[in-house]
Amino acid sequence: MDNIKLIINFLGQLLPAINITLIVSLSSIILGSLLGLLLAAAKMSESVVLRVLARVYVSVIRATPSIIMIFVVYYGMPMLFNNWFHTNIDGWNRMYFVIIALTVLFSAPASELFRSAHESISKGQMEAGLMVGMTPFQTFYRIILPQAFVVALPNFANSVVNLLKEGALTFTIGVVDMVAKAQMIVANNSGGYAWQTYCALALIYWVISLAVDKGVSLVEKSYQAKRKTIAV
Amino acid sequence: MLTIEGLKKGYEGNEILKGISIDVNKGDVISIIGPSGSGKTTLLRTITTLEAADGGHITFAGVDKDFEKLNGKDINTIRRNVGFVFQNYNLFNNKTALQNITEGLIVARKVKKSEAEKIALDALERVGLSDRKNHYPSQLSGGQQQRVGIARAIALNPEVIFFDEPTSALDPELVGEVLKVMQDLANSGTTMVVVTHQMSFARDVSNRVIFMADGHIVEQGDPKKIFENPSEERTKKFLTDILANV
Amino acid sequence: MSLNTDFMVKVAQTAIQGVPVTLQIVLVALLISLPIGVLFALIRIYRIKGLELIVKFYVSLVRGTPIIAQILIVYSAFPSLLNMMIGKAAFSINPIYYAYIVFTLNSIATLTEVFRSALQTVDKGQMEAGLMVGMQPRQAFWRIILPQALISALPNIANATLYLIKNSSLAFIMSVKDITAIAKTEAAFNYNFLEAYLVVWVYYLIICYGAEIIFNLLERYFSKYRRSAKRTTGFNWNPFSIKQPKLVVKTDLAESERTNNAHN
Ligand SMILES: Nc1ncnc2c1ncn2[C@@H]1O[C@H](COP(=O)(O)OP(=O)(O)O)[C@@H](O)[C@H]1O
Ligand SMILES: [Mg+2]
Repeated sequence: MDNIKLIINFLGQLLPAINITLIVSLSSIILGSLLGLLLAAAKMSESVVLRVLARVYVSVIRATPSIIMIFVVYYGMPMLFNNWFHTNIDGWNRMYFVIIALTVLFSAPASELFRSAHESISKGQMEAGLMVGMTPFQTFYRIILPQAFVVALPNFANSVVNLLKEGALTFTIGVVDMVAKAQMIVANNSGGYAWQTYCALALIYWVISLAVDKGVSLVEKSYQAKRKTIAV
Repeated sequence: MLTIEGLKKGYEGNEILKGISIDVNKGDVISIIGPSGSGKTTLLRTITTLEAADGGHITFAGVDKDFEKLNGKDINTIRRNVGFVFQNYNLFNNKTALQNITEGLIVARKVKKSEAEKIALDALERVGLSDRKNHYPSQLSGGQQQRVGIARAIALNPEVIFFDEPTSALDPELVGEVLKVMQDLANSGTTMVVVTHQMSFARDVSNRVIFMADGHIVEQGDPKKIFENPSEERTKKFLTDILANV
Repeated sequence: MSLNTDFMVKVAQTAIQGVPVTLQIVLVALLISLPIGVLFALIRIYRIKGLELIVKFYVSLVRGTPIIAQILIVYSAFPSLLNMMIGKAAFSINPIYYAYIVFTLNSIATLTEVFRSALQTVDKGQMEAGLMVGMQPRQAFWRIILPQALISALPNIANATLYLIKNSSLAFIMSVKDITAIAKTEAAFNYNFLEAYLVVWVYYLIICYGAEIIFNLLERYFSKYRRSAKRTTGFNWNPFSIKQPKLVVKTDLAESERTNNAHN
């Protein structure tokens, strides 16, 4: 009982820091999706060079631990900017480095799921659309996009939850997010109530993950209700 | 040898089999025909205990019981005395043609491996696939897969083999090879119950034809009689429709 | 300002001592979580009362929380828990055991989902065929269903392994002397962090690609019996998402629906 009270108390102390987590995650999701879209286009492009580059990029990201990506961006970017643009970015808000690292990390799975969603639909559908007299853009917008959306959604949600979890490493470069806050609380209690504090932390992430999953399945359901004919 | 009385089966309140009685004697080759959805597959699956029946009585291989009262031992007995040839073959994908046949012998019948392989090779010989013994199902054509399916069933030497539309998943040009094997089996005295849309098989190979519709046996008897002079209007209509389409 | 390559060579030499530690963590976690993952998947598939709910809860909890939170919880809770059981000795335990615990608990959840979808891709006709040649359900499961499920799960087991390897880079937080920890210590002397982490990065790339090659060889070896259409040859570039197999499940269903229709 006492433990539950403690956890609730810690929840209250941690929640204010959720802003950082949300800002970092949302920015990286948006930027990462855009980069992923470009990558997907590169993967499907006519140019062999682009295709190979995109593949190598994705495969390297796939084999890179998030913490290493964050560290390399954090320590590497200032040097890069210094050498190439003669700009000093040491003063940047540290959050930017995390957002860049997570954007790079998110772009890889995003590109893969955009591509597979597009490929799973487009073949006969584009031809069918053109045959009934729609323009290529109309066909893409009205026929392919909605179907690709439904196909990509579950994997997208999965990647989003992954990103959210990777974002919990933000604290490693000194941004005061929920994890850092939790560690401070533990330090203030001289190491006491540690597991209760971290359980409160885990609980917050769990609720966000569940909310993402729930949201996606609601969207999926409403889509399926609207378009019963889409058999994936 | 096998007697089914008043077999009933429903799914979610829908009665699919509404009291079916069948008598199978040794050496019988029985064809079951009927429109789609009439319950033919369900009939074979309930008799072979792949599905639990809701009512009825079975007398077979020493079991003489109501379906609801079958215990684990009875079910084992029934399964060990029947063979089943599936519409979509259901060969074990992770086993070669030969292993598909030895698997049941070794695991269920406790036959020695060398002995089992001998039996399996014999069975493959009978279906004309000795040269494919080390092929995996994915490396065989549909017709060849189904012939292995038949070999798998006969190797166990069951009292009766059930066939559920063994040729309807096949490309038309592969149907012949499977029918040929089945005809050879029939000629060698194997007891067979065959659900089929191949009217030539029903007419020329079997010694009895059962026409099913809506979960009932509408009519059964000598193939000649059923095909040339059916007594029921439904049978006549079904046969005219199906023969018109051939 | 440029990279201090001499230092990088030095870090590469010292940090290599951390490679066996990382591999050890990955192997231990994988070997323990594979069978438990199968077991948990079966509990979910056969809807074993009570247990099903616990497994569902466990998987959702582990998959819904960051590995760092799991590390912090285990690392703070287990020592005092052990302390109650075995006394002071708990504090002198090699921290690698905590790494084993965290990463095993984490992998179990991932692999449960992997095996659940893999087992579902095996057509139920395979079990029925087994029963019809006289096998007991258990025999058919071990000899027919499980081997097929394991092989169709290989690409996702590879994904889970990669995920595990990458997560293990956080073991340094539990004071495990792994690659990252060693590089970090080296870097701290002269503030050469970038160089140190670039070296660590290369090590992880090598380990991950190594794992991927092993899994691809396994896949190629075992895929000999699989339908050419379903074969997953070559590198699997898919995102490390374990929802991936769902699509496979659906196509399989569509296939069996088609045959069902054909047979009516
Ligand atoms: N597992 C099941 N659940 C619900 N209904 C089923 C199931 N299997 C078969 N049915 C229904 O039972 C009826 C008979 O099916 P089936 O025995 O396959 O017919 P047939 O083989 O003669 O075409 C059909 O209407 C079918 O929809
Ligand atoms: Mg049928």
